[in-house]
Amino acid sequence: MNYVLRRAVSAVATLFAVSTLLFLLLHIVPGDPAEILLSGGGMAPSQESVEALRSQLGLDRPLWQQYVTYMGNILQGDLGNSFQDGAPIAQEIVKRLPRTLELILTAALLAVVIGMPSGLLAALRRGGFWDGLFSSVSSFGLSIPVFVTGTLLILLFSQILRLVPAGGFVSFTEDPVQHLIYLLMPAFSIAVSLTPVVFRMVRTSILEFLEKEWVRTARAKGLGERSVLVRHVVRNSLSPVVTVLGLHLGTLLGGTVLVEYVFNWPGLSGMLVQAVEQRDYPAVQGIVLVICILFVLINLCVDLLYGLLDPRVRYN
Amino acid sequence: MLRHFTLIFAVAFLLLIGGMAVLAPLLPLHDPVQMDVMSRLGKPSLTYLLGNDEYGRDIFSRIIYGAQASLAVSLSAAVLAAIGGVALGLLGGYFQGWIENITMRPLDVILSFPPMLLALLAVTLLGPGTGTLTVILAILFIPAYARVTYGEVLSVRNLEYVEAARALGHRSGRILLRTVLPNVAGPILVQFSLVVASCIVLESGLSFLGLGVVPPDSSWGLMIRGARPYMHMEPLGLLWPCLALVFTVFSINRLCDFLRDMFDPKASVAAFTLPGMLAGQRLSRTAHAMSRKAEPDSLLQIRDLTTEISTPRGPIRAIDGVTLQVRRGEAVALVGESGSGKSMTGLSVMKLLPRRIGRIASGEIWYSRGEGENARAIDLAPVPASHFRAYRGRDMGMVFQEPMACLNPVYTIGYQLVEAITVHNNVSKAKAEEMALAELKRVGIPDPERRLREYPHQLSGGMRQRVAIAIALCGQPNLLIADEPTTALDVTVQAQILELLEDIRRTSNIGLIFITHNLGVVAEIADRVVVMYCGQVVEEGSVEEIFYSPRHPYTRGLLASVPKPEDLNSGEKRLASIPGTVPSPLALPPGCRFAPRCSYSTEACSVAVPELEVVTESQAARCIRWKEI
Amino acid sequence: MKDPIVEIDNLQKHYGGSKGFFGRVRKPVKAVDGVSFTIHPGEVVGLVGESGSGKSTVGRTLLRLHEPTAGKIRFDGEDITHATPQRMRALRRDMQIIFQDPYSSLNPRTRVIDIVGEALDLLGPLPKAERSERVVQLLEQVGLTGDHLRRFPHEFSGGQRQRLCIARALAVRPRFVVADEPVAALDVSIQAQIMNLLVDLQREIGIAMLFISHDLGLVEFIADRVMVMYLGRVVEMAPARELYANPRHPYTRALLSTAPTVDPRAARARKRELLQGEPPSPANPPSGCTFRTRCPFAVDACAVERPAYRQVGAGHFHACIRDDVAGGQVVPQVA
Repeated sequence: MNYVLRRAVSAVATLFAVSTLLFLLLHIVPGDPAEILLSGGGMAPSQESVEALRSQLGLDRPLWQQYVTYMGNILQGDLGNSFQDGAPIAQEIVKRLPRTLELILTAALLAVVIGMPSGLLAALRRGGFWDGLFSSVSSFGLSIPVFVTGTLLILLFSQILRLVPAGGFVSFTEDPVQHLIYLLMPAFSIAVSLTPVVFRMVRTSILEFLEKEWVRTARAKGLGERSVLVRHVVRNSLSPVVTVLGLHLGTLLGGTVLVEYVFNWPGLSGMLVQAVEQRDYPAVQGIVLVICILFVLINLCVDLLYGLLDPRVRYN
Repeated sequence: MLRHFTLIFAVAFLLLIGGMAVLAPLLPLHDPVQMDVMSRLGKPSLTYLLGNDEYGRDIFSRIIYGAQASLAVSLSAAVLAAIGGVALGLLGGYFQGWIENITMRPLDVILSFPPMLLALLAVTLLGPGTGTLTVILAILFIPAYARVTYGEVLSVRNLEYVEAARALGHRSGRILLRTVLPNVAGPILVQFSLVVASCIVLESGLSFLGLGVVPPDSSWGLMIRGARPYMHMEPLGLLWPCLALVFTVFSINRLCDFLRDMFDPKASVAAFTLPGMLAGQRLSRTAHAMSRKAEPDSLLQIRDLTTEISTPRGPIRAIDGVTLQVRRGEAVALVGESGSGKSMTGLSVMKLLPRRIGRIASGEIWYSRGEGENARAIDLAPVPASHFRAYRGRDMGMVFQEPMACLNPVYTIGYQLVEAITVHNNVSKAKAEEMALAELKRVGIPDPERRLREYPHQLSGGMRQRVAIAIALCGQPNLLIADEPTTALDVTVQAQILELLEDIRRTSNIGLIFITHNLGVVAEIADRVVVMYCGQVVEEGSVEEIFYSPRHPYTRGLLASVPKPEDLNSGEKRLASIPGTVPSPLALPPGCRFAPRCSYSTEACSVAVPELEVVTESQAARCIRWKEI
Repeated sequence: MKDPIVEIDNLQKHYGGSKGFFGRVRKPVKAVDGVSFTIHPGEVVGLVGESGSGKSTVGRTLLRLHEPTAGKIRFDGEDITHATPQRMRALRRDMQIIFQDPYSSLNPRTRVIDIVGEALDLLGPLPKAERSERVVQLLEQVGLTGDHLRRFPHEFSGGQRQRLCIARALAVRPRFVVADEPVAALDVSIQAQIMNLLVDLQREIGIAMLFISHDLGLVEFIADRVMVMYLGRVVEMAPARELYANPRHPYTRALLSTAPTVDPRAARARKRELLQGEPPSPANPPSGCTFRTRCPFAVDACAVERPAYRQVGAGHFHACIRDDVAGGQVVPQVA
């Protein structure tokens, strides 16, 4: 219980620091914030438009007041309005968030489903054919940036083989089958870079745990090889795998931005890229904040899961 | 073989692309921004080696200039980040306290942003461009270096050579740069190559989104972005930059793996090559063990057992022709120093030799089952390890040295005991738990009900060793092999464990093989003693014979090395010691293996390996001069 | 008698112990809890204890490799408890340490000539030829040769590495050395070599030594005086012969009666005073006498206050409130 509480407190503290940093960034950057935001097109903005923006964003008030308002708004779930169309940012995010989550979770699932068994097999047949094959494939997978994977998948399956559409989205309620077809390629693209990470971690930790003395004790008890493997090797290797998945979420979330762009997947990232192009700072701020919250929350889950898997963490 | 090939490819590719990027202005290349409208999306030709892009620009030239941009941004960002990160990590890790807090804590905030997002955020504020990109990437990767350096410094700073440098009176700055830094340089170098690869990927990703390198400058990401809409017309234009990008990242990653293997063999991802096949004939493997009528009283008879372990530098004989016997209820001590093969003997009997690299090469292990007239002896040596679990636990149990490591940390004590019980007995869970409780009581654990529900880390070392003994005894074995069971324990706890083992041996009449380097423990517990040196038995006898009339010079030397009250009374204050060190198992001396360290050795000693000569009915020594000594 | 070279007064070293995040106060681990002793020039004092007794911490704290929590450390009459880093660096030449693990105590990336040479440099710069000549001299003093100059530590066996460590410590010509379990990681036959080397060097140079070990036999062999530690405190101190012949504290007696001996008949004939249980955690020690939870002679009074350190013979001190334990006249009370 204590452990859960400690983790939760540290997660809240991180979120607080992140939101403060997001607020401060606009003010740290040299130059007038309103001017910076308006100078996207390369032309100097007019004095009036700068003034207008300043009062619209409340930039004319003292910094601490702005901060209090900002934090207050965040706590109420208000992330401000977009520069582009004046629409509330939070609403748009709520609409798009589940699509991004779906993509990430599918990719993570694929990575675990493919990475764990292949890692196990490679470790058990260390130095053998499968080990060589999987290890080579994984080091190649690690080297392909997600957007290249995505683009090449489109080239192969949509342009040359004409098997699947190049990108797009249909909601699950409208057409479940088509929805999954659209999901397939983007999720696979992310999985291509995530699976090798899982594979390597599983392989290394299985190899490490196979050498442990408790494995020898388990064999000395007279336990069958399969039980030894499942209960005393694989079970123990779950903790490092969970940890490594958590650590790579950052890269994963970054990868989603590119993948959603490549496949026209209307998740958070499409909105983000557009906002960055338009230099719509409130929108960027809002999306980044939400993704960071997501990131911190998933890491919290990872920590808790880790505690569940390893009693030593729970009791210390 | 494939490994070498990919490494050579990686180095060659990096040299080629890096060299061309550096020399680009000097090479006879087309201007990367010059448009040749006539050859838009042109096929490869002699003028345009890789064809033309959507504006008719030369793809080959754009790839080289793209490499220039990519590598310049990535390398400078990686170097800048390295300087900042390593400095922070060194300071934070070495000094700790408040310095640690101000150097390391702020980095956690950077780390709580996914890197791509932080880059996008900065681009929003600063606008795209190569300079911005470099600064952003540098800041992004400072935590990566700082963390690695910090972790390495933490593990190095408490090593005794750093403490020794402090004890000598060296300055902190000097210790950091001359003692700590060289020892953490390996992982930092690995990190450097990882960061360069990540920078290239991030740079190309941002450029792909149109938020990195600004056109008309060239970048692989931009090229992919530009060629994408035309991929149905000219897929090659898309493939070239993809290939350049993938091969570059692959090559750097490959180099990184190589560096990691060199500096940190533990984290090695490289394929493992099996050491050379073991020479000699394999034993014929039969699932049905050979059996014969047992000799009365005998429990275990090992004859001429040889076990081979293959090492990267060639196969070694960890034990070489060992013969020994254990009777029911008898305690036999296997004594020797490191490398003597005493532990390997125990593991050979249990068929727990290191996976895939250890095997029994020859010899017999006769184990007797049954009572009196019906007793049968079975030769366990040819039984394959896969069939051997029928014997483990039920016929012979084993206890290991490290009580900290021999219990699985993620299961309760109760689970691990019940597991051992249900392997051998077909009982309900409730019954098994009842039996587990009885086992814990038997090994003298106070408050056993509570202990059943606790995890190994909640128990002290002595308690854990008691649990390990309980687990080994679950299947009511006739033979218990204890491999240095008290070495990791304190003297007062060691005495308790010895008493427990003694007690169990008496009440259950089981045979005990006690493996140890501690002669004091041997004197306490053993009925008979087998002294091993370099994989061979050099002397065996009853405990009285070994301690009061040792015949082999090695046994005598060992005994003399232990401080005794007489050493003080002589006034000289000297211990008799054995000169030299134990020879490497790869370069054993010819003849008697102890001869080079033996003060009695003659030329004859080096001619042939001496036989184990009978001294008395129960004592034997492997020395040709035992009579004279 | 000459003035002592090392004087320790009520030395304490606590680890951790802080206010937790939620106002929860964590108790400090009292690794060393009020230890006082002196060492005279040329004297070898043995410090015996089990793991967790704080014996190694005493060695490192008195050299100020770890900062003491409380107490006084005097070296050669000078109070060095709060000496400045500059002053400490100068003093370190006079006090050296030899560590337990010969593998982790040598920098793997430094050649032998520099391992010893860098220590020599602290005495002042030497011309290159003279420096390597001095290094060879030191190597020969510890039983190695000049052939080893260009080698790296991993090319040596455990015993040879420990010789190197000794050479490094001796290079600065110390007058006091802490030997922290110097042979515990070595094989029996090598242990004897290193013990002999230590005895010879100690006699030759006449340095004072604090010899820390869990092995009673080794301590008896080398030490003039012996201290026994239990859970951060010294429970008994006496001249070596006196302590082994006439142990007074119940813990010392138990240690001696369970210590392994290479005499099987004696080992089996002796009456063992087997202790119950294991040492409690130093984070949460028992009240009064910390040994009382395992002591067969404990009475109610033992729990009340920390037993005073009392003299019971010439140079023989112990911290037990009962005087009737020795000699075994008292039948241990049933726990």
